[in-house]
Amino acid sequence: MKTVSITINGERYEETVPARMLLVDFIREKCALTGTHVACTYEGVCGACTVQLDGEAIKSCMMLAVQADGHAVTTVEGLARGAELTPLQQAFKAHHGLQCGFCTPGILMNMSEFLEKNPDPTDEEIRHGLVGNLCRCTGYVHIVDAVRAAAAQIRRGS
Amino acid sequence: MYPAIIEDYQRPESLQEAVAILSGYEPGDAIFMAGGQSVMQAMKSRMVRPRCVVDLQSIAELKGISSANGLHIGAMTRYVEIAGAVELAGANAALRDAAQHVGDRQVRNRGTIGGSCCWNYVASCMPAVTLGLGAIFHLLDPQGKTRAVQADDFFLGPLETARGDHELLTHLSFETTPRSGSAYKKWGLVTDALPVVGVCLKLSLDAAGRCSAVRMSLSGLPAGAQRAPAGEAALMGSDGSRESVARAMEAVVDSVECHSDKWADAHYRQQLIRTLGQEVAATAFARARGEQ
Ligand SMILES: Cc1cc2nc3c(=O)[nH]c(=O)nc-3n(C[C@H](O)[C@H](O)[C@H](O)COP(=O)(O)OP(=O)(O)OC[C@H]3O[C@@H](n4cnc5c(N)ncnc54)[C@H](O)[C@@H]3O)c2cc1C
Ligand code: FES
Ligand code: FES
Repeated sequence: MKTVSITINGERYEETVPARMLLVDFIREKCALTGTHVACTYEGVCGACTVQLDGEAIKSCMMLAVQADGHAVTTVEGLARGAELTPLQQAFKAHHGLQCGFCTPGILMNMSEFLEKNPDPTDEEIRHGLVGNLCRCTGYVHIVDAVRAAAAQIRRGS
Repeated sequence: MYPAIIEDYQRPESLQEAVAILSGYEPGDAIFMAGGQSVMQAMKSRMVRPRCVVDLQSIAELKGISSANGLHIGAMTRYVEIAGAVELAGANAALRDAAQHVGDRQVRNRGTIGGSCCWNYVASCMPAVTLGLGAIFHLLDPQGKTRAVQADDFFLGPLETARGDHELLTHLSFETTPRSGSAYKKWGLVTDALPVVGVCLKLSLDAAGRCSAVRMSLSGLPAGAQRAPAGEAALMGSDGSRESVARAMEAVVDSVECHSDKWADAHYRQQLIRTLGQEVAATAFARARGEQ
């Protein structure tokens, strides 16, 4: 057992956990932040578990919780300020970027970092950025629309 | 799915400390953790069951690209950093070609060049590219001794390398030859998937614009990352014309073993070698001429 201290969405979680615990299980089970999803169990291909580690999108099923000791994690719960959604979240709502919503937290965590690195992306760049996130419902068209609209909104706002 | 019980987790801050911890265990009982993008899958499927995980994340010397006295890339340098490194041009541009299309953004934010080469998966990008570029692998053992291994001697077939059980890969070094260009391209079943076939080419041009030195490597075939000597011999003296490249790729197709599996049959793999070969040759020649 190892004692770890991980800051998630600005709050520090100190827990004693087995070294084999996955970061995604730490987030969901120890911190009860169930917005981060699991869909592929071990191959690391679905992206539903995507969170940000020190600001970068990563798959939290591909990492041990002990590896995140001393680091800052952001999950989908950390995006909105109270009831105020981010421009990216608002755009997903406005452009029907989700149907069942299972993939959405992972996509939001990936795309919010993507837009910081590339504030004015082409559709092709958006699609290339989405490769690591599977969506079984939407066919991606509305997701691309939402990301494009969010990019424009963020550029207007800044 | 989650890993078997792990008794200990260590996060050393120096190279010496890292090899010392590993050497305290029987081979295989302790493993280095780089980006985890291969070994976490292996641990979750219980193919790998380490008693101790030695996490390399805090060793600063293992990270980064340096262009002073030749090109050196730390083993813990991530795909995302290689993908964006503009200094990787000409002779070593193939590193960027590969890094930009490994997996997806999340994988590129974690996965490292050293981890990919030490894992040496049969269908992977960096082993073929470092082989094609003739990289030198620098290893450190628990006695503090270092050794340099040529790429041709480092990769010993799928999942096998010349790295000793207790050795740490510290960095890779590359030649920065003038009037040289390299390129890598793969084809996979979906965007940026593992290579069904990948082709890497590195060449130098003489004053007349003809190929005076060349290395070619392939990924995705049963032998894993491998050189293509027949193609290299045929490309010597080539001016980059489609005909000369086509002849060279026929020589490759005639000399390597292509297999059929659920992803692609042998004939399709041969066609991929021809097509990707033309594309990487066009890019490598253009880069060597300074046009790209
Ligand atoms: C969804 C997905 C898609 C992928 N797509 C591709 C792709 O298109 N092309 C491709 O080539 N790969 C692909 N990969 C694999 C990826 O490239 C891995 O990142 C890489 O193979 C391993 O690098 P790592 O840093 O994650 O190493 P790890 O998984 O941490 O380690 C791999 C092995 O190397 C050892 N090791 C690591 N560093 C050192 C060191 N410095 N010294 C000694 N031993 C060391 C470890 O002990 C372990 O045995 C993909 C992976 C995933 C999950
Ligand atoms: S749960 Fe599928 S990538 Fe993590
Ligand atoms: S909205 Fe259902 S999986 Fe994407």
